[in-house]
Amino acid sequence: MSAEPGGRPFLAGVRPVIRKEFRQIRRDPRSLIFLLCIPAFLLLVYGYALNFDVKHVPLAVCDLDGTQASRDFSARFSATEYFDLRHRLSDARDVDALLGREAVGIALIIPRGFGDDLAAGRETKVQAVVDGASAMTATTAAGYIGAIIQSETMRFTLEVLERRGRSRFEPPLAVETRVWYNPELRSALFLVPGLMAFILMVIVVISTAFSVVRERERGTMEQILVSPVRPAELVVGKTVPYFLISLASAHIVLLLGFLLFGVPIRGNYLLLLLTMTLFLTGGLGQGLFISTVARSQQVSFLISILTTVLPTFVLSGFVFPIRNMPVAIQVFSYLIPARYFLVTLRAIMLKGTGLGAFGKEVFFLAAFAAVSIAVSMMRLRRSGLEERPRRLGRGRRGAGS
Amino acid sequence: MNGNSIEVHGLSKRFGAFTAVDDVSFDVRRGSIFGFLGANGAGKSTVIRMLCALLDPTSGTAVVGGHDIRREPEAVKASIGYMSQKFSLYGDLTVAENIAFFGGIYGLPKARLREAMPRVLEMAGLRGRERTLARGLAQGWKQRLALGCALLHRPEIVFLDEPTGGVDPVSRRAFWDLINGLSEEGVTVFVTTHYLDEAEYCNDLRLIHAGRLVGGGSPQELKRTTIRHPLLEVECDRVVDALELLQREPWVRELSIFGTYLHVGVEEEAEGRKLVAGRLAAAGITVSRLDRIAPSLEDVFIHKIEAQTKEPERER
Amino acid sequence: MRQILSVIRKEFLQLRRDRRMLPMLFISPIVQLLLLGYAVDLDVREIPAVVCDLDRTAASRAFLAAYFHSGYFIEKGRADAPGAVDRFLDDGLASVAFVIPRGFGDDLAAGRTAPVQLIADGSESQSATVGLNYASLIAARFSQRVMVEAFERAPAAGLRPVRLDAEVRVWYNPELRSRNFLVPGILGLVLMVMTLMLTSMAVVREKEMGTLEQLIVTPLRPREIILGKLLPFVAIGLIDVILIVSVAASLLRVPLRGSVLLLIVLALVFMLTTLGLGLFVSTISRNQQQAMLTAVFFMLPMILLGGFVFPIENMPRFFQAVTYAIPIRYFFTIIRGIFLKGVGLPELWPEAAAMLAFGLGIFTLSVLRFRKKLE
Repeated sequence: MSAEPGGRPFLAGVRPVIRKEFRQIRRDPRSLIFLLCIPAFLLLVYGYALNFDVKHVPLAVCDLDGTQASRDFSARFSATEYFDLRHRLSDARDVDALLGREAVGIALIIPRGFGDDLAAGRETKVQAVVDGASAMTATTAAGYIGAIIQSETMRFTLEVLERRGRSRFEPPLAVETRVWYNPELRSALFLVPGLMAFILMVIVVISTAFSVVRERERGTMEQILVSPVRPAELVVGKTVPYFLISLASAHIVLLLGFLLFGVPIRGNYLLLLLTMTLFLTGGLGQGLFISTVARSQQVSFLISILTTVLPTFVLSGFVFPIRNMPVAIQVFSYLIPARYFLVTLRAIMLKGTGLGAFGKEVFFLAAFAAVSIAVSMMRLRRSGLEERPRRLGRGRRGAGS
Repeated sequence: MNGNSIEVHGLSKRFGAFTAVDDVSFDVRRGSIFGFLGANGAGKSTVIRMLCALLDPTSGTAVVGGHDIRREPEAVKASIGYMSQKFSLYGDLTVAENIAFFGGIYGLPKARLREAMPRVLEMAGLRGRERTLARGLAQGWKQRLALGCALLHRPEIVFLDEPTGGVDPVSRRAFWDLINGLSEEGVTVFVTTHYLDEAEYCNDLRLIHAGRLVGGGSPQELKRTTIRHPLLEVECDRVVDALELLQREPWVRELSIFGTYLHVGVEEEAEGRKLVAGRLAAAGITVSRLDRIAPSLEDVFIHKIEAQTKEPERER
Repeated sequence: MRQILSVIRKEFLQLRRDRRMLPMLFISPIVQLLLLGYAVDLDVREIPAVVCDLDRTAASRAFLAAYFHSGYFIEKGRADAPGAVDRFLDDGLASVAFVIPRGFGDDLAAGRTAPVQLIADGSESQSATVGLNYASLIAARFSQRVMVEAFERAPAAGLRPVRLDAEVRVWYNPELRSRNFLVPGILGLVLMVMTLMLTSMAVVREKEMGTLEQLIVTPLRPREIILGKLLPFVAIGLIDVILIVSVAASLLRVPLRGSVLLLIVLALVFMLTTLGLGLFVSTISRNQQQAMLTAVFFMLPMILLGGFVFPIENMPRFFQAVTYAIPIRYFFTIIRGIFLKGVGLPELWPEAAAMLAFGLGIFTLSVLRFRKKLE
């Protein structure tokens, strides 16, 4: 990218393109509002709607024992806010139908002889059958059962001690639990950074991919090409406005996250700005690349959506832990810039750590941005921005232009 | 019907505060070539779109092909053909595919389409180019394809909105041959144009300016009756200076510049010649030719517009 | 009828002409399903943990073994001092830390309370919650075992120890593969994204290109134009459904216990809703960019609120009510039901009816809105 010998300075053509782009954006208020507000709106919706906390799971109890002990036991479950007792069953086979209709999320089956076995010190087992639809339900059930076992054991210990006349009560284990960065384990703190990354990625890529292709499709590209504006200047001019708008949008999201959900920025704001800039630039690069591949707005839209929405949602570590994925897929997730951005977001916002903790991620973000922009520029330089003469039959681009 | 394909009464269209078409009325005889002449933005396309039931008028009525545009828009559409200013066929379909598509749309049974296809191809001069993508055609051929598709169902009225925009003169001539042929077959052709030479080919003209009709009649009539006083054509050097000088003279009835000539309207021919020659000579401008000419449509048009802007009076 | 066929033929021709569309229409759903299908996994296992064992006795090792043999935790590192644990958590090398102080074994043997510290990284609150739940269960079992052993060494007269345990079984999923539930969901998502995107551009494209003008000046009725433009996408969607159902059942090995035919029929009903929605977007947008942003505006909430991975019953009442208007909510229930539970129309008819109602409603709305006028 050097200046033309004896010609106009590089980037001279950028300013008018930026101005034109801004004017066009301003004249299409609906699009501008969308670009600025969709991220914030979505954050609001998700922030309030989504959480991982499991409560009020519909419960069915099948008490095959019918003793006081079994009734006490099932009462422990229905009394808590984690489960809502909806059905009492007398036959274990009815569980099938209830779970099949998604009428209950968990069925507790207390076997015959529960009370007797417990009193006799024999091994007693209850069954908690969980609808696998919600993975969280299974773990919540497990946790709660653990708590019950613990308290039952304690109760017994108390009895023993009383019998022995000891007044001191010493449970075997005292587990002190501390949760860092998110003491109340609020899902919002976990979700909001992920949402931010997800939403921004989609918006940035789509709007950039669109802007170049739109000119080509409308035919105004020709007019620009006839002017002294160089492809590089055109590209920079077209993407800068969207970069600024996305940056503004991201800050609105940050602000809302803080005001409404208490998501803090415990770390260095400048670092946050840096990683955000790198991330957005990478998204722009991806959008640009798409615009060099697509000939029509329809196709550019399709490619943008297909490469951002579901892949970012699933592969960025937003909801599904990356370490659970097969190795091949984990490798693929390296291609998703949101993955790195999410790590840095959580580190800066929630943990307050410095560059040392996520330097690797910053490097990847920078690399992604650089590569995507470079490749796009290369393609633009080589093929130019004009419509290529259609060659039916071969399909692929011929050599040169 | 009483010999009129189209009858328009008081048609108006307002877009917010802007009046695009202002109280326009006219009749179109069946089988005639009816022209709407005006500059860009005068309201020609808006009128056509209303008559094709593509836009709802703000006020006024029109009957096209026996159907009221407000009450029976679909019936109107079934009896007309339309060719828009911008090429609006499918660029990514071939010539033949476009024709087949529109044939199907207009409900042509297979047999008729089979017959119509070569006819349309022949008429448009596109035989042998059936498999070319429409966007690969030059502008003139595109327009002919569009005309062909508009005629597939043999409508009784055809609306052509600036059909020869951006087309070379030879193709334009050929296009007008087609239009004449249509008229001979009894098809009413409604054309809008801003080319004055094309306006000469029409049977009936309406001049439109800023949404209003400013004149009408056959081209010959307009030329004969609009400008009653003699018109002199002056060829000289320093045309612009000559223009400025003559503008200040009170005996000049009208004045306009045509490239390197001036058209000067005077009260009486002999007297006028002397005055013009004298005035220009006095300023040192050499006059190489001074002839009396018959007014052209352009003269007529300019005259009408100037009259309009001086006294906003409507012509009916 | 003939007119609709003409429009359909034109749409197919146009689709075929654009080289890039074909792979996207048929290959990308499969690729997406494979990629995402292998990726989605909410099963908790091998949570990385760092250990700081200052006791180093048989008892402390037994305690740690209880955790690491469960499969839920995996040891990723050792710290020499409690403070050193910080680094692991900060850098994300571990999500939980176990800190066992010196004297743990002695305390247990003497019948004293043995303190233990469990630290979790809350920034990944989902893993933390899950991890803590399982940790709680494991700790309880360990605790109980200690009690039982102590009792057996010195039994009190007439008393029996508590030996309560629970077996947590996850049904429809004996191998505990959360993927069996998530992959059908992905199927629904891929289908929705494809069909919604395609149709939201369909009408606006012609509007922007100028060809719509030529269409509406013909005697074509609105419903003929709309049907003609949408039916090709129905066909494409149908092929996509068959393709990705096959891939899910064969390559991803998700059990398909119900009726495939029912699945396909109900998928078509679902497509009615997405196509209708896309069409609606197309009619309210002035150009393709607006259509695209509007489609995204509708699509993103539907993805996250539809009940794919965030349970609807967890949402505030207001949002729960909102989800009744989200068609994919019903489709998720249907698709999970048919794949995994083998249920049929008797159980699923409410969902099917809801989708049908939505689809017909929005379709009708779009047709009514579609005026054959230019403004």
